[in-house]
Amino acid sequence: MVESTNTRDILVQLGKKVVQSILNEEFPRLEIPDRSTDNIVFDPEQGQFVLGTTRVMRDSSKIRHVKSFAQLVWVASFAKDLLDASRTSSLRDLYYSSEAFGVKFVDQAESDRIVADLESLSGMAREDFGVFPEEHSSVYGQVTMRYTVPGYLGREVDLTVSPDGLPIGPALMTAEPVKSNAEIVLAVECGGMFARLIETRAWERFKAVLIHLGGQPPRSTRRLMRLLHDRLDLPVYIFTDGDPWGMHIAQVIITGSANAAHIRGLTIPDARWIGVTPEDIVEYSLPCDSMNDADIKRLDELALDSRYTGPEWQQHISGFKDLRRKAEQQAFSRYGMDYVVDTYLADKLA
Amino acid sequence: MAAVFNSISPAEFFYRNRHMAGFGNATLAVYSTVRELVENSLDACEDSGRLPFIIVDLVDESHDFVSVTVADNGTGIPYQHVSESFGKMLFGSKYDTRQKRGTFGLGATMAVLYGQITTEHAVEVHTQTGTSGGHAYRLLIDIEHNVPIVESDSTLDRDGPGTTVTIHIKGDLKRAQDRILEYLRMTTIVTPHAKVLLRINRIATATLGRWTEQLPSVPVVSKPHPRAADLEMLKRLIAENKQKSVRSILVESFQQVGDHTAARLLRHAALDSRKVGWSLSREEISRLSAALKSFDGFARPDGSCLSPVGRDSFLTSVKSVFPVSFCSYGRRGPSEWEGNPFVVEGVLASGDSVDESDVPVLYRFANKVPLLYDASDDVFMKVLKKIDWSKYCVRGARQVYVFVHLSSTRIPYRAAGKQSIALVPEIEAEALTLLRGLARELGKSARELGHRGRSVKKMHEFAKSFRLIAKFGASLAESDIPPTERLISGLFEGSDNGRVD
Repeated sequence: MVESTNTRDILVQLGKKVVQSILNEEFPRLEIPDRSTDNIVFDPEQGQFVLGTTRVMRDSSKIRHVKSFAQLVWVASFAKDLLDASRTSSLRDLYYSSEAFGVKFVDQAESDRIVADLESLSGMAREDFGVFPEEHSSVYGQVTMRYTVPGYLGREVDLTVSPDGLPIGPALMTAEPVKSNAEIVLAVECGGMFARLIETRAWERFKAVLIHLGGQPPRSTRRLMRLLHDRLDLPVYIFTDGDPWGMHIAQVIITGSANAAHIRGLTIPDARWIGVTPEDIVEYSLPCDSMNDADIKRLDELALDSRYTGPEWQQHISGFKDLRRKAEQQAFSRYGMDYVVDTYLADKLA
Repeated sequence: MAAVFNSISPAEFFYRNRHMAGFGNATLAVYSTVRELVENSLDACEDSGRLPFIIVDLVDESHDFVSVTVADNGTGIPYQHVSESFGKMLFGSKYDTRQKRGTFGLGATMAVLYGQITTEHAVEVHTQTGTSGGHAYRLLIDIEHNVPIVESDSTLDRDGPGTTVTIHIKGDLKRAQDRILEYLRMTTIVTPHAKVLLRINRIATATLGRWTEQLPSVPVVSKPHPRAADLEMLKRLIAENKQKSVRSILVESFQQVGDHTAARLLRHAALDSRKVGWSLSREEISRLSAALKSFDGFARPDGSCLSPVGRDSFLTSVKSVFPVSFCSYGRRGPSEWEGNPFVVEGVLASGDSVDESDVPVLYRFANKVPLLYDASDDVFMKVLKKIDWSKYCVRGARQVYVFVHLSSTRIPYRAAGKQSIALVPEIEAEALTLLRGLARELGKSARELGHRGRSVKKMHEFAKSFRLIAKFGASLAESDIPPTERLISGLFEGSDNGRVD
């Protein structure tokens, strides 16, 4: 990990600032970029959400702030310990670890928030200091990666090594692609589809690196996709369920989420959502369900979202609204097991 | 079958049982060697009436060998006693009745013995009693016969009176050094007029003290209290005074016994007070011995043979070594346990810390020696646990430290390692009264703090979080934890800067 010394420096500097201030008999204060929705703007140039210029002051002399200030400094020191020991942790693990240090969080949401505070304060992603989410998504394809983590440094792994796909964890996220036969990245929402594409050797046919997203993908997965896209110059295609939620999974991969507006290097602006679009539902006569109130409400929200201002997106939204129906990826199975590969994906990726 | 009976010399006995004396493993051996030499040095300085300056030099030599050198500016050792002081078990100047750090002149010889057996090195002693004309010796112990062997003896001037002792032992310096530093730091708490320099591998690692120039009161040698006499002592006294009447033997040998008390005691023992020493039968002597224990007409033992640290010195040293704000001192005694006078004194302090616990942190001392091991069995630990500290606003507030020092002509150690004090009811009772009194003082101060300005609870919570900031900030910066007490108390004492919003 090339950036680890740098990340470490930033954390050490944070500690020095705090200590120096106490030695000067002043209460330490930190200015943190404001992550509230008022301060999140869509930057069309970067094609992603970014934080505005507003900053909030966290002042340790205030009773209201002192606890979260302490939590923040603890998370930083926990992160530094992880780096020094070349270890990783998960958000949940971090939440439980806090008790051993006498730091208290009401719930994991609170500790997740403090982690995000440290991210926006330091300008680093939590993955940089070894904190990963619990869930894993997977990858499968004709790419060889070389690990950079201690213990596996320099070892290579072929991403077709397991017929179940390889979980995307901290080690894979920081690995370097060294060899590839792939020509595209194909990300799919659900595990059933991922397995189907492996079994039918669709990866060979489309020369695709398959990614299993499993709903909204963890950031490490988005990182890996971005890495494959940047380094190997692979176009990225996203295949999700045909509903506002599936569409939004694609949107987040393309332009980023409000939650991670303080993080750079995750978005893939030229990735493409191939479906299931409202048109596909009609064109392929897919079996479908009626939308519920939550689905409709979500469509209304997305219609106003600045990420969806493009005509193509607006067309999808109005398409769903007119149809008032939604279809899952598996719906193609009504035409047989291989239909989705032989017909649908063949059409879309042609 | 005939059993073979062997007698072994004290030297051999102690080597075989070295774990009892604190030489059970390589780490402890270094620690115990330093401790024994430093204690002898401090005793020698106290006798000289000078402000002690002790230099401890620890050097890692090849093959786990460590050389331990301790130099002092004390009285020096009279040249005719040097060889026996270091080369013979159970020889020493410490058999009289007054407070001393060492007890039987056993420890330093144990270190010499351990060194000799593990490294085959002689102990090097350089001592000088006057302004010039010092002597340098190399000594070994004849273990079988418990007699010293003088390898060499030469005159060698020293820069002033005092003693330098070097012992080579097998030991683990790396693992012992933190303990040794802690031991020396704690030593300066109860010997605040001493300055101690610690060098490890020729690098000055720490300079501790001197926190005060005030010399402690010199304990006066006194006669034993009658209740402290056992049958053996009584037999010896009578044998030494064969021609005297039993009454004058009692009056001359013991404190708190005048003609009047002696007469009452002898009536209690049903003995004729005019009977002379040689005429006492065995049965009469043991009756007298029992009477000494059961007679309740003795006044308390005299405390002038004790040398407590004292209010000013104790408070000064605690404040010098620990980041504390509140400090109070208390003292109980002199009282006695089995005729041995004792004083228990203590300081209760509170201040900055990040490792909060509901129970105060206890530091134990006996005759100006810090006790670092085996705390759980100690009488003071038992007393500490008897007190409900939450009543005195200890919980979650500030870190509370308790320093307790027992001064006595005899410390009832639980074992030869001298690390914890036995549960003697008299000591326990006095210590409990002492700590309760100190705890009340603390409670009062905490409540006063609470009445002023904001609620104690708010401040406690704030302080707790703020100390975490200092702690984790320091861990990030890889520096020492900065002191936070002043900032916190400043925030809560200055009443109207409106920070609580």
